[in-house]
Amino acid sequence: MFKNYLKIAFRNLQKQKLYSLINITGLAVGLAVCMMIMLYVTHEMTYDRFHANAKRIYKLQASINIGGNVMNMNYMSYASGPLVKQSQPGVESYMRTLDYFKPVIVSNPLTPETKFKEEKLVFADPAFFNFFTFNLKAGTAGDVLSKPFSVVISQDMAKKYFGDTNPVGKTIRLKTDSAYTYQVTGVAENAPSNSSINYNFVASASSLLAMKEAKNYTGEQSISGGSFNLFLLLKNAADTANTRKSLQHMADNNKGDFKTQYHLSSITSLHLANNFGDFSNLKYLKIFPLVAVLILLLALVNYMSLTTARATLRAKEVGVRKVSGASRKAIAAQFYVESGLFTLLSFTLGYLLCYAFKPWFLNILQLKIDNSFLYSPIVLMFLFGLLLLTALISGIYPSIVLSSFKPVITLKGKLSRQSGGTVVRKVFTTLQFSIAVGLIICGVVIDRQLYYLRHADTGLNRENVVMIPVGNSIGKNYPALNKDVQALAGVSSVATSHYAMYGGYDMFFIEGKTKQESVALASLSVDNKFISTLGLEWKFAPTPNAQLATRTKIVINETAIKDLKLPANPVGSIIDAGNQKLEVAGVVKNFNFSSMESTIGPLGLFIAADTTQAWGTMGCNLFARIKPHTNIPSLIGSIENIYKKYDQETPFSYTFMDDAFDKQYKAEDRLAAIFSTFTYITILLATLGLFGLAAFTIEQRTKEIGIRKILGASMATITTLLSTDFLKLILLSVIIASPVAWYAMHNWLQNFAYRINIPWWVFALAGSMALITAIVTISYHAVKAALANPVNSLRSE
Amino acid sequence: MIKITNLEKFYRTEEVETIALNKLTMEVNTGEFVAIMGPSGCGKSTLLNILGMLDDPDEGSYVFNGIEVAHFNERKRADLRKHNIGFVFQSFNLIDELTVFENVELPLIYTGVTAAERVKRVEEVLDKMQIMHRRNHYPQQLSGGQQQRVAIARAVVNKPKLILADEPTGNLDSSNGNDVMELLTDLNEQGTTIIMVTHSEHDARYSHRIIRLLDGQTVMENIMV
Repeated sequence: MFKNYLKIAFRNLQKQKLYSLINITGLAVGLAVCMMIMLYVTHEMTYDRFHANAKRIYKLQASINIGGNVMNMNYMSYASGPLVKQSQPGVESYMRTLDYFKPVIVSNPLTPETKFKEEKLVFADPAFFNFFTFNLKAGTAGDVLSKPFSVVISQDMAKKYFGDTNPVGKTIRLKTDSAYTYQVTGVAENAPSNSSINYNFVASASSLLAMKEAKNYTGEQSISGGSFNLFLLLKNAADTANTRKSLQHMADNNKGDFKTQYHLSSITSLHLANNFGDFSNLKYLKIFPLVAVLILLLALVNYMSLTTARATLRAKEVGVRKVSGASRKAIAAQFYVESGLFTLLSFTLGYLLCYAFKPWFLNILQLKIDNSFLYSPIVLMFLFGLLLLTALISGIYPSIVLSSFKPVITLKGKLSRQSGGTVVRKVFTTLQFSIAVGLIICGVVIDRQLYYLRHADTGLNRENVVMIPVGNSIGKNYPALNKDVQALAGVSSVATSHYAMYGGYDMFFIEGKTKQESVALASLSVDNKFISTLGLEWKFAPTPNAQLATRTKIVINETAIKDLKLPANPVGSIIDAGNQKLEVAGVVKNFNFSSMESTIGPLGLFIAADTTQAWGTMGCNLFARIKPHTNIPSLIGSIENIYKKYDQETPFSYTFMDDAFDKQYKAEDRLAAIFSTFTYITILLATLGLFGLAAFTIEQRTKEIGIRKILGASMATITTLLSTDFLKLILLSVIIASPVAWYAMHNWLQNFAYRINIPWWVFALAGSMALITAIVTISYHAVKAALANPVNSLRSE
Repeated sequence: MIKITNLEKFYRTEEVETIALNKLTMEVNTGEFVAIMGPSGCGKSTLLNILGMLDDPDEGSYVFNGIEVAHFNERKRADLRKHNIGFVFQSFNLIDELTVFENVELPLIYTGVTAAERVKRVEEVLDKMQIMHRRNHYPQQLSGGQQQRVAIARAVVNKPKLILADEPTGNLDSSNGNDVMELLTDLNEQGTTIIMVTHSEHDARYSHRIIRLLDGQTVMENIMV
């Protein structure tokens, strides 16, 4: 019997090629989106679960309360580890790791001229590879980190610095506070993509203690905040509460100034709980599963709608089968088998689509997922569950509808009146188009807002400015570098700033008479060319010949006048900065020095003469304004040559100021890209749904169309007649979607201090797009019906 | 075999009630060949549908082989039907996506006959209907007469006790029509009870008895000699 079902399913599939294609593709697209999101969500949810002891590993964190302000301490002191183990019977062992906070310069001593800047240097206690489950390709877990200046490198790094040779026993140079030679004692598999501990180099903690800057990390001798991640392996996962209580008890007995609170977080919860780096991911994690379910639901609805729309074609078959002895259950089973087959095909196609578009999707999310993760049991389990669920749901409605056909009616070809479901279909089509229209509106608003942010006048000219970070290794040579770059033909002016633009600023507090009047003043240390090079405008220019470049003078912006309650023209006023009195030397007009999500805050510019040697020891950024029509690559090349003349230690790199500005909206860019993708998919699905509805409804009206034609209706009248009903649904969708989308976007825009007003035409645009799509879709059926020979349609009645 | 008493069937719309069968009483004995005739709308098809258990009556009794079936649910009716009744339609009602062999095989699948037994029985009946050479063709590739022979093959493959034929020659020319009537007569002579609805006096003459209906009631019965 099963074979018979499959046979007829396949023959129908072949016979109805277009429908089958639309049906399978629609479901496949929905499934592909679902799989991709599922992959992403599963990946996020399984962080750090691969450690054999995952259930017993906890991270110790603390928070202290300073006058009502809670300060979270993610890192503990070096001494905390042994002290905690000593005092807590529930702790089996501890592991301290320190993520070196800045990139280091790495080279193979055999080829010292090839240097790279590398990130992810971790210093760890000797038991690192026993404590965590990271596999060693070479080296023994217990020994690799036992000596100072021994390092385990990742497979990627082994390949990069040693090629195909075995690196164990060889040496590698890592420049932290100064350059040290390490012995490579092991090679570790790259950390899985769902690991919150990530490394290129794992060096012994004893190396850190032997470094010049060691005292920065190891000074504190009590259990307190510090620089190290402190992981505890508990003897029993159930000990968590006791250990926490006991630690807290110890803290409460401490007669320190501040009230300390200890937290033990399971390693498996760290990734989602401490999403410090990128909040947007957490946001996506909430939205995405919803989107996945929604899109899959739309796809399933389409599938069911299209399948039952074709029911008229199968009605006779159902009748014959029933007359031949098929029970309703047998017919339902048959259509279940058929849905199962379609689902399987869609699933396969969906999986291929998911595989093909995965890199693109992950790129938008700025995420890496190991290929091996795709075949992990949990993912396979989820995929199987998805297949089962889809097959189950997709079969329900067609089975119920088709198995209910009465042979008495279907065998006489009078199906149309009894197949029903028109209202259901109309509701679904309206819903689908509402979602599509809503997404179009949101997409356009997000796009407009991003355009506005990128192109708004921020008060400084960020076009054609290249920013070059200069490390402290340049020493006294900085003024010479600056002068040489200035002398290049393509460069119109050069300025220096401690931070890259949009890369940060310092903060200091100016105390007011009351606490509320205290002002957090952002400050930038810049040279005297900064203002002119970036095209900042003076509100009150300093007096000619004023010596700006002294540490007692400050240039402020307009907001600072207001916030510091200075006179309208504050030049010459004195700002009391605690131990220091600062004289306002001039006022620049407001400009955005950070993201446009916030308003322009008060700012002070400390101006230093570029001839001082301060830059050489602090490190800084050189800004070069490029003349129009300059060959940029060749200019960058020239700058690089100059740079290398003065500094062979720190590799050369550069960014353009406008890129840096745009980069601040990365999260929004991703949101926009994902929105537009989801929008396209929803439109596609909605269109397919409408296609099915139109086919179904028009087929039901065949006789009516035939009679109208015989009575003299023109093709145009009939097409209009058939289309109007659907267009009403689309208009209804626009009416439903517009306020919802407006509300959602209105709220989103509140995140930005600088924002657009939602223009009325967005709604009109979204509405027209939906209408045009709908008209094109319906026309196919309407025109076909209008062109049909009425003799045929009436005879079949 | 069949005994119906005071059978009633109404079709209701919001405003009108149409009586299709009006307290109809009749009996058909095992081995009989009965023709039912009457003008359009007299209730012929409704009667045939009820006799075939495709539809249920609103009032009255229907005893099939000694079992009262008038108020059976769909599942029970389907069960009784598949073992006892074969159908032949005016428009053949073959499934376009299945071959001749597969169409005929269908009732055997639903009665759970094993695959080997199915092949044997289908081949047997195709042979008898003289369309064995067309076994792998699809319905569209056959003439009307051949299609109706396939339909009859399908109706009899399960060896039903009763065959219900709804204008079996209505879509055929006279030569093919006669062939079909000969086939039905043969089947009847081998013991199958046949009830046939027809407009054709010529076809009705093949039967033992003609029941004439008007407005849902029997108006005349002719016994053929």
